[in-house]
Amino acid sequence: MDVQTSKATHVNPTTLICGTMLSTNLQRARRMLEGALGLECVQPKKGVLLARDRGFQKDGSKRGQPYWVLEVREASEIAVPQEMLNHWGMAAPSEAAVDDAYDKLNSHKEEYGIARVQKPRFRNGSYACYFVDKDSNWWELEYRAPNLTYEVLRAKGDLHHD
Amino acid sequence: MSNPAPLIQNDTLSHGTIECSDMAATRRFLTEFLGLDIHRPVKEAQYMYKGGPWTVVCVCVDGGEAKDQTPDNHFKLAVGSPGEVDSAHEAAVRLKDQYGIRKVEDVREVDGLRAFRLQDLNCTWWEIVNVNLDYYDAIFDRGDRAI
Repeated sequence: MDVQTSKATHVNPTTLICGTMLSTNLQRARRMLEGALGLECVQPKKGVLLARDRGFQKDGSKRGQPYWVLEVREASEIAVPQEMLNHWGMAAPSEAAVDDAYDKLNSHKEEYGIARVQKPRFRNGSYACYFVDKDSNWWELEYRAPNLTYEVLRAKGDLHHD
Repeated sequence: MSNPAPLIQNDTLSHGTIECSDMAATRRFLTEFLGLDIHRPVKEAQYMYKGGPWTVVCVCVDGGEAKDQTPDNHFKLAVGSPGEVDSAHEAAVRLKDQYGIRKVEDVREVDGLRAFRLQDLNCTWWEIVNVNLDYYDAIFDRGDRAI
């Protein structure tokens, strides 16, 4: 296995912990994050919304395990619209779940502030549906075969070198 | 309290993505400077992670320029103490040219956290902050404070 792990580095992080994005309407963003994607959301102060997977609350089954935080900040405009190569990804349990999501997202675009949904397709070993919200944030719902999950690939280390 | 089923069935937030135009130089910055763990499972991308299952996929845009992001679109790296934020800031200023770091903002304190942001060689912004998941657990436990 050839995974390059960090030693004697200039920054010594414990965790890659959070990603941030913008929205011109936090209420709309929250409706999508909670209602469409099923995330747990909280607004700790004006203009800020945090989201994470469910199950980490006080009595949740995943409490104590690491999780990823999405931080959404309200802005009057999106100065730099995002593109497909800057997206947030979610794991789907099956290809059928991706197909189902495509249909449902298309049917509820207005309700959840979704601008466009792309047809699912196979790409780089995953079956995925991309969609973009009204703030230009891109999202991917992808199913990966068991031998291609991020965890499995991590264990395999480098498979390509220049 | 149970929550209604979401519109789409999904298991977890799994990854984010960034762009790069020089795979080798980017890897040097991510591993040597930022201290991330990294591997390259496919020719066109390298995957990085630290301290959890979440992954950032760094896609190489051959012959192109990565998008110039604003500081409002960034990734946060948690360190263990305010002193580590200061050390990282000092290193970022000192090694700016060596790693192609474009901008280094001043260290600031917000909501009791010490932090600074930098923009890397690919125009991606990173925040180095003394935070941990207990901090976020407490925020989620408290619930909404502003609606």
